[in-house]
Amino acid sequence: MNDSGPEPSADTLAALFEILKSFNKTGAELSPGTRFTEDLNFDSLVVMEFIAVVEDSFDISVPLNILPDVATIKDLAIAVEKIVAADK
Amino acid sequence: MAGLFDRFAPLMGQRDALFGDSGVNPFSVKMDRVLSQTEAMIEGRRTILVGTNNYLGLTFAPEALKAAHDALEASGTGTTGSRMANGTYSCHKGLEDTLCDFFGKEHAMVFSTGFLANIGILSTLMGPDDYIVMDADCHASIYDGVRGGSAQIIRFKHNDAADLDKRLARLADKPGNKLIVIEGIYSMLGDKAPLAEIVAVKKKYENVYLLSDEAHSLGVLGKYGRGLPEEVGCEDDVDFIVGTFSKSVGTVGGFCVSNHPDFETLRLVCRAYIFTASLPPSVVASATVNLGLVKNGGALRKRLMRNAQQLHAGLTAIGLKVASENSPVVAVVAPDPQVAVAFWRGLIEAGVYVNLALPPATPYGYSLLRASLCAAHTEEQLNKVIAIFAQVAAKVGLAAPVEHKRSAVG
Repeated sequence: MNDSGPEPSADTLAALFEILKSFNKTGAELSPGTRFTEDLNFDSLVVMEFIAVVEDSFDISVPLNILPDVATIKDLAIAVEKIVAADK
Repeated sequence: MAGLFDRFAPLMGQRDALFGDSGVNPFSVKMDRVLSQTEAMIEGRRTILVGTNNYLGLTFAPEALKAAHDALEASGTGTTGSRMANGTYSCHKGLEDTLCDFFGKEHAMVFSTGFLANIGILSTLMGPDDYIVMDADCHASIYDGVRGGSAQIIRFKHNDAADLDKRLARLADKPGNKLIVIEGIYSMLGDKAPLAEIVAVKKKYENVYLLSDEAHSLGVLGKYGRGLPEEVGCEDDVDFIVGTFSKSVGTVGGFCVSNHPDFETLRLVCRAYIFTASLPPSVVASATVNLGLVKNGGALRKRLMRNAQQLHAGLTAIGLKVASENSPVVAVVAPDPQVAVAFWRGLIEAGVYVNLALPPATPYGYSLLRASLCAAHTEEQLNKVIAIFAQVAAKVGLAAPVEHKRSAVG
């Protein structure tokens, strides 16, 4: 789902890159297209811990329901922006 | 073309790296003969069982054995049907009445396992416009249950009422019902939910319900064994209690009790209730009789807690890091999976059975040697268990206190 549709803001991406620094055990280069499972080797446990930090950082709740559709950093950035907008 | 099981290759690789191809492992260990609630023959050795969740030791209660034998003779080995089809006997209704009486609730539904009770209730109760706000450390059956439904699923930080409050506040203006999901005692570390604080948060908002899974606290907490809500004194504030007969009740099966006036609707819509075979009459008889023993089991609860304190104190004294105090679950934290496996093997080879629990099934990425106590453990048995823990701890280099370790940034 990262090929078309809305583009996330640079600020959102930058914030996610910053959080991801401490989760990036593979040393993969971080770009909007970086994939959580394939490139960063995230397992289910790491995903949960990472999402918890994202929630704190943006002061939002990320429903588990959306996670199957989040493959890349860009996907997550778009989802986060949607939630932030809905909370306003 | 990828093979059918290729995606599990990394997992199987991890398993092989941890366990090798020789020696006993948790996936192959079997109890050749169960000698009592606290002992079994494993690989030809008389082994003390300290990992059965048989908290009150009711698996051999003579009253339940007799009732089960009688039911077996009278009604046969199985019902061959679901609750909605031909699988509801008067004994199933009788067990539901017993549960209502036990909990002082208006309604009760019996499921075929505790896992199915969570699957059934959590996938059905909340609809597409609703929200489930669950503790992050909830059991796999709760995760699978909520994922099987249509509600939005939000997690709050384990045992953090302030985080729950924050998340409910964000949802306050949204239409739809909200269901908080917690456990009375969490299975892996044995820690209790801060129920009074959670109830206080719940009361700040409208259209919020509370469900507690009392799988590990039923029979263990409260004067009459009704679990954490009884101990805390807020039973009216817990809208749904889910539980299992497979731990302190000493058999198998699950249930949900509630005072909600429309609760009976669930019998028509809950697929895990409608489309699976009902419990065999002998199991229903065991559960019915043992619930009475649980209710009047104050002496058993005292012995259970005394045993838990003995094991906790003994393991702490030899320098092991133990997760929770005053809990029937005594979980020793090992520094990594390799040490945990060596420790577990050392214990089983010396005649002590505990549960080996590794990430991702554990909170904080802990590698655990999880012991659970039984009221039927003797002081002498536990002294022996502690001595064997000390020997094996020394052998695997764990004589000194272990630091907490998390799998990722925490």
